[in-house]
Amino acid sequence: MKPIDRRQFLGRSAAVLGAGAVGLGVGAEVASGSSSAAPSAEEAAERVLADELAARNGFEGLHQAGILTPRQSNAAFVALDAIAPRQNELIEALKELSYRAAALTQGGDVAEIEIDDPPPDSGLLGSYNAPDGLTVTIAFGSTLFDHRYGLAAARPPGLTAMPAFAKDGLKPDRCHGDVMVSICADHRDTVVHTMRELLRSTAGVLTPRWRVDGFQSAKRGPTPRSSTRNLFGFRDGTSNPDPTDAKLMDQLVWVQPAAGEPRWTAGGTYQVVRTIRMHVEFWDRVGMFEQTNMVGRDRVTGAPLGGTHEFEDPRYDLDPHGKRIPLSAHIRLANPRTPETEDQRILRRPYNYDRGLDEAGNLDQGLLFVAFNQDIPRQFETVQKRLEEEEMADYITPVGGGYYFAPRAPAGSGDWVGSGMFA
Amino acid sequence: MPTRWFLVGAVLVVVAFGVFLGSALTPSHSDGQAGGTDSEGPASVANPLAGRITKVVGTDVPAARFGEEAAAREDFGENLAGEKISDILPISARRFEKPVREYKAYAHGWIERTIEDAKGLGGALAGGSRAAARRAWEKAWGDYMHLGADYGLFGELEEELDGTASGPKASPSNPEFVGFRRLEWGLWTGRPLPSLLPYDRRLVAGLKRLRAAVPGVEIDALDYATRGHEIVEDAQRDLLNGMDVPWSHQGVLGTAAAVASAEEVFKTLKPLLSGRENTEPEVEYWLLRLHGLFASLRHDGRYPSTTQMGTAERERMNGYVAGALGALQMVPSTLETEPYKAPPSIGGRG
Repeated sequence: MKPIDRRQFLGRSAAVLGAGAVGLGVGAEVASGSSSAAPSAEEAAERVLADELAARNGFEGLHQAGILTPRQSNAAFVALDAIAPRQNELIEALKELSYRAAALTQGGDVAEIEIDDPPPDSGLLGSYNAPDGLTVTIAFGSTLFDHRYGLAAARPPGLTAMPAFAKDGLKPDRCHGDVMVSICADHRDTVVHTMRELLRSTAGVLTPRWRVDGFQSAKRGPTPRSSTRNLFGFRDGTSNPDPTDAKLMDQLVWVQPAAGEPRWTAGGTYQVVRTIRMHVEFWDRVGMFEQTNMVGRDRVTGAPLGGTHEFEDPRYDLDPHGKRIPLSAHIRLANPRTPETEDQRILRRPYNYDRGLDEAGNLDQGLLFVAFNQDIPRQFETVQKRLEEEEMADYITPVGGGYYFAPRAPAGSGDWVGSGMFA
Repeated sequence: MPTRWFLVGAVLVVVAFGVFLGSALTPSHSDGQAGGTDSEGPASVANPLAGRITKVVGTDVPAARFGEEAAAREDFGENLAGEKISDILPISARRFEKPVREYKAYAHGWIERTIEDAKGLGGALAGGSRAAARRAWEKAWGDYMHLGADYGLFGELEEELDGTASGPKASPSNPEFVGFRRLEWGLWTGRPLPSLLPYDRRLVAGLKRLRAAVPGVEIDALDYATRGHEIVEDAQRDLLNGMDVPWSHQGVLGTAAAVASAEEVFKTLKPLLSGRENTEPEVEYWLLRLHGLFASLRHDGRYPSTTQMGTAERERMNGYVAGALGALQMVPSTLETEPYKAPPSIGGRG
């Protein structure tokens, strides 16, 4: 087969997989290219083992999965650049990306083809790709809407290139990108497999620009609701807006296009990704008292200073001069909890990252800051500019990231993420 | 670092035990809240307190185990009553005035030298030898880096001297791309030497302004005590990684200068550190190791670039710098100027 034939074949079979999987129960047999025989005993055993991998998130609907979805344990974020010379090639690649993502998130048998061809799936997960809580969230950077593909008029009005903030140390090869693919799943091998399959299905048209992998700290209590810790050892995400509050999400997350704005942006959201290096060795040299003052919370309980439990209101109104919680404390600047700052809140969905060492032998670790919001200048940028004043800024260096627009989910089985911008 | 805590704990045991042997259990500063001891029964002739001391007041800790228990608890930042404590008496902030004055005198000396170096760099640029000019830049920048603890105090002037406002790899058309960094870029990327002369003249003028500004600058006590390890942290982050010297790769030269300035901070603080915890010998131990390493790396008065260093040298450099930081980090907490106070409860409760 010529390469283009193979791509078309995969596209077709992936579309069949995606369509067939929607609405089927856990572990159900999924129609696929040539594998329609009853499962062998070995395959059946594999299914049983896969029960802990059975969680499934829908791919179709109004909003993309991976935004309000509770954070899975593992993630990878990859920014891709479009290098195809023509719009129709870009469209085909975006369809491939979406259909393949749909199939992988829904799970299904690994298709077999002729024995002398390379297998269409790497087989990393065996003969059955369990859904494993997988979400693939697809978003687009402002550069995709430049002169190349005739998309200038479709550019979401709030989408710009991420600027460098005062204390950023951005490295150009770790920033921006035409397409941002966020892959999150319960297990690491599912993320690795998904990345490999998606990159393979779009190779030659969408080429990787940068990538960061993330993990979530295990839930260690004391209660199921307790926030997990970031790599500074503090609980993170305590005051995150409640993603199950649909009304609140309409106010903070989902774009509601105004008159004259591109209609296709409805149901989408702006995604901010920031790779924030945390100088953990530096942090570990800071006294406990100073650490808690920089954060504004007790390290063990996560309670605001002077409080006893994590979700207690810090009552800044009773502490206007910062005698209890310093005015420069992170929690105070990030969310001042005033009526005026309510609509500046963002929905955070961060991960830790840990990717080796730097030249000085220090750990290259940090926070993969991921946030969704309705309006980047009103929300993320306002918060970020306030945080330039925080003392903690000396212990972190944002090194990469970008702004993206995550459109609505595919409306049905033939639809794909981003189709609206070509309409 | 378990070793250090062990040492601190051991010192406290000895101190506390000494107090116990003395006579009654006179509270040391950190067990003030725990008070003395409950007393009962008549005094014996040999030791008027024998049999009277049974346990530490307010606790169930037997008096005989006082020292051991106090030391063990202090390792977890608590006194015998279970309250959060800092383990040593605060020092008056006024006692930092002399060290800061001494450091300013030291800084003045290095600024004088750097001004002469920068003038020398002008001569080398005019002389037309790139090799000589690079060497002159290394001399000037290496001496300038000895200022160390002055970082962050001079705002825009500092940025102009460093040339850092323009970001790590600035474009030549950026008006903020000046100072040492502009000269470094020009010298190591083949720019015509005469084109760099205006930047050198501007550097000399900036250094003179710095010399005039140093005496008036204020450094508060805790800030000064923290600078020792922060200078070395900055060198580790910005120089050993090559970020701040991307063209000459002179990170070792800069780190050696940073360590020298951290050592100066430490020297000025030694009279205050003396007799408190075990900070001094640990810092001295690591500084000695670093001295040895820098001496072994220096040939003909020059250091290798970070790109020239072999794996073994690199590992020693990274390791000794990290070790020195582990010791220097104890300086600020050893020299606390305020006692720890728990934050008030929300709404003023309790």
